[in-house]
Amino acid sequence: MNDFIFIMQKRLKFLMILFSALVIVLIFRLSFIQFVNGSDITNRAINLWSRNIPVEGQRGTIYDRNGKPIVNNKLAPSVALIPRQVEKKEEVAKFLSEVLSISYEDSYKHVTKNVNVELIKPKGKKITLDQAKQIINKNYKGVYLVGDTVRNYLYDSYLAHVLGFVGIDNQGITGIEYMYEDYLMGEGGASKYFTDAKGYSLSNLYGIYDAPSKGMDIYLTIDIELQILLERVLENANARYRPDQMLGLIMNPKNGEIYAMASYPSYNPAEYQNYDQEIYNRNLPIWMSYEPGSTFKIITYSAGIEEGVFKLDEHFYDPGYTMVDGTRIKDWKAGGHGDQTFLEVIQNSCNPGFMEIGRRLGTERLFDYIDRYGFGKKTGVDLLGESSGIVFDVEDVGPVELATSSFGQGNSVTPIQLVTATSAAINGGLLYQPYVLKDIRMPITNELIYESTPKEVRRVISEETSDVMRYALESVVARGTGRNAFIDGYRVGGKTGTAQKAVNGVYLENNYIVSFIGAAPMNDPELVVYFAIDNPKDTIQYGGVVAAPIVKEILKEALPILGINRQDNQIEKVYRWGMDLRYHPVPDLIGKKKNKLPYQIYYKYEFFGEGEVVKYQSPSPGEKVVEGGMILVYLGKE
Amino acid sequence: MGESGKINTLLFVTTLLLTFIGVVMVYSASQVWAQFKYNNEYYYLWRQLIFAGIGIIGMIFISKIDYHLYRNNASKIFLFVFFLLIIVLIPGIGIIRGGARSWIGIGSFSLQPSEFMKIACIILLSKYLSDYYKDMKKPKYIIMLLGVIILVFGVIMLQPDFGTGMIIIATAILILFVSGVNLSYFLYLGLAGAGGIVLLIISAPYRLQRIFAYLDPWSDPLGAGFQIIQSLYAIAPGGVFGVGFGNSIQKSFYLPEPQTDFIFAIILEELGFIGGVAIIILYLIFLLTSLKISYHAVDLFGKFLALGITLTIFIQFFINIGVVIGLLPVTGVTLPFLSYGGSSLAVTLLGVGIILNVSKYQHDD
Repeated sequence: MNDFIFIMQKRLKFLMILFSALVIVLIFRLSFIQFVNGSDITNRAINLWSRNIPVEGQRGTIYDRNGKPIVNNKLAPSVALIPRQVEKKEEVAKFLSEVLSISYEDSYKHVTKNVNVELIKPKGKKITLDQAKQIINKNYKGVYLVGDTVRNYLYDSYLAHVLGFVGIDNQGITGIEYMYEDYLMGEGGASKYFTDAKGYSLSNLYGIYDAPSKGMDIYLTIDIELQILLERVLENANARYRPDQMLGLIMNPKNGEIYAMASYPSYNPAEYQNYDQEIYNRNLPIWMSYEPGSTFKIITYSAGIEEGVFKLDEHFYDPGYTMVDGTRIKDWKAGGHGDQTFLEVIQNSCNPGFMEIGRRLGTERLFDYIDRYGFGKKTGVDLLGESSGIVFDVEDVGPVELATSSFGQGNSVTPIQLVTATSAAINGGLLYQPYVLKDIRMPITNELIYESTPKEVRRVISEETSDVMRYALESVVARGTGRNAFIDGYRVGGKTGTAQKAVNGVYLENNYIVSFIGAAPMNDPELVVYFAIDNPKDTIQYGGVVAAPIVKEILKEALPILGINRQDNQIEKVYRWGMDLRYHPVPDLIGKKKNKLPYQIYYKYEFFGEGEVVKYQSPSPGEKVVEGGMILVYLGKE
Repeated sequence: MGESGKINTLLFVTTLLLTFIGVVMVYSASQVWAQFKYNNEYYYLWRQLIFAGIGIIGMIFISKIDYHLYRNNASKIFLFVFFLLIIVLIPGIGIIRGGARSWIGIGSFSLQPSEFMKIACIILLSKYLSDYYKDMKKPKYIIMLLGVIILVFGVIMLQPDFGTGMIIIATAILILFVSGVNLSYFLYLGLAGAGGIVLLIISAPYRLQRIFAYLDPWSDPLGAGFQIIQSLYAIAPGGVFGVGFGNSIQKSFYLPEPQTDFIFAIILEELGFIGGVAIIILYLIFLLTSLKISYHAVDLFGKFLALGITLTIFIQFFINIGVVIGLLPVTGVTLPFLSYGGSSLAVTLLGVGIILNVSKYQHDD
């Protein structure tokens, strides 16, 4: 028996060790769950317990080139239901149907749906703050508000065609919003509410807010000041001329950056549903394509200089028409311009002169330049809906087509093509691809993600030819058909255009697209402005009459915005008595006594304030005042 | 034979502590279910409190009964419980709960004969081992004893209650091990067991997948892995210090039967790693103390009796916690002292009462 007891005692001791060892195994395994897998399992558990109410990510802000916001976001909460938590189903359904203006049946269906989280689309998405307030006040169980956002257009309809708009889920549909969707789009987050396995809320637990992330910010090449200027000019022109369509484009000729771009008719991106698709889909400066008329002569002229087929001081006689292949093609001026130099040919926009340049170049050479200037192909601007225009096939060009092409008829082009080509003609000869995206940055940190660089497409003409073009275009404004764009103190160059509109192969009568392309300062152009107006009413439909003054107005305000100073070595304007206004410099009157002011023949004084001494004057000394104009003099005591 | 006449205080105190923790945690774990099913969050608390009260009074009473009484009536006790085990299978008498016909009930009072069979088997084994320990080197006796145990297992599997059946078999084998049976028998037994498992797998290979699903519960998250995953979802968020008493999320319908088999998961969630380890150590103190009582018992019957009951409690403790922490496949074994359930708690406390009585008669060495 003792032997037996001995073995048993030994095995009992072994059992004690075994128990202790197995308990250590349990604790070891428990530590493993807790300290190795713990956080992973905990995350899975939190996912199991929580009902996620999705929150959209905020889209990135769109800024102008100087960092001024153009489009940002504003709060527009969305309604989310956790149907199982809704206690008074009928009452809540009735309440929601009233607040969201949906039918009771519809509302009841949402409230009783057997899902974890129910969204009411589209009426319950992005509601007004007023609606949200009503819902907050009632504070029904199971009815939640989620902090969604909608786009906030700080300048309403301005720049609408470039910006585009977003849909109900904040997805980009057109414009920049669509083009750069991948960057602008924010990543969604969620409000997590803890529930038990049956979906009821665990009221003792706070929810977790998994904040959505904001998309990246986009900086455009647009200068919002210039855009506002352009849009206002268009608004004024609309009031005055009631045109069918209008468009404006301001670009930096040195690199293809677009400063401003506007179309009329326009739309408000916040309410895009209220407009025709044709309005918001047609970004006219890149979409519209038409026979440009005389603005195209810049192309012919520069090709002629580059190829050396004429000299500026060479004489040409314009009888008022040119016979081409038995067809008599008339100049725009009855009777013609008579004897003139080739410089005067462009100043006068003389059609026979350009037909002569075209003839001297020949089809091959002229169309080679048209091609190299980028016509007939999309410029590749980073915007939606660009057209490529239509250029004659070289094989189909006979003498008549050559002649009309030379002065801007027959080929149809887009405004953006014309502006990039004109830029190449005056910037030293380089064609650039136009663009609106300046850079992309991270929100908050402003970390640079992507930066656009100017894209040089090709050299079209030599620097010397470009020099001559700048001179020639400045003289068009100083002395020719563009004189209505002349600004005292700024070297403005430009070219008028009066385009006939062909419908079914027949040109319309008294229905033109009149345009002007201007640039300044002509010794070193900083900006190109193009403006076109389709069928202006109650006016002579000539580019020089309608469009040139508008471009002048734009340039006059745009140049100071860009910080470009006045110069005094411009080509002096030539006066045509009775037609042109004269300007005279204003003397310095400040500090002078009222009764000692010099007598002026060109202008009158108008006095403000009381006192004997001039404190302030407008215009400032040195500026020029139109003959017969007024100088405002502010008086004060000593 | 020296009789100190005093029961082992440490065993008594740890038993009361574990029972108290059980009552409190049954309340916390069952609260949500109780509210949902009976509209009374204290439903399970009250019942467990009554079971514990009856159990503790029973334990004190049993601890005063000389354990030799069981030796003289071992066969009668066994046959009586075996009879209950048979009649529980008869429809109309046996009540089905959770898919097994395991309960005999009169009114709202019901009990599980299989729970009592654990004690009955231990008494029977203890008697035979202490009477025939010299013959235990002969295979005939071992096979005979094992034959009785396997018969009991077979009858319990008719309910079916695999967990209890397995505990009885495992307890018997471990008692035989301690009784000095030649180790080579365990080798044969191991081989036979392995052979059986291989046969089961060959006959239905999916079983292997089922059994080992617990190793990667996410391979079958809605089937075999479901309970393990829900248990882990309670344990991990508990962290070191727990989410606090009463704050479990997993008890809100996520973890099935949080107050019974998986109560330890809720304990880990609410009281954390530290609370869990503290309870495990309390068990270890209890188990080592009762093994010491067996060690010092004055006669063989007392030794086997204390040993057998300790083994039963240990096996249930280890399997239950092993399942909860994903160390073992899900079997349906309750946690002694802590899990909700009258029969389970009563039988455990009665067993402790027997050990306490054994502790009155101790050798000094």
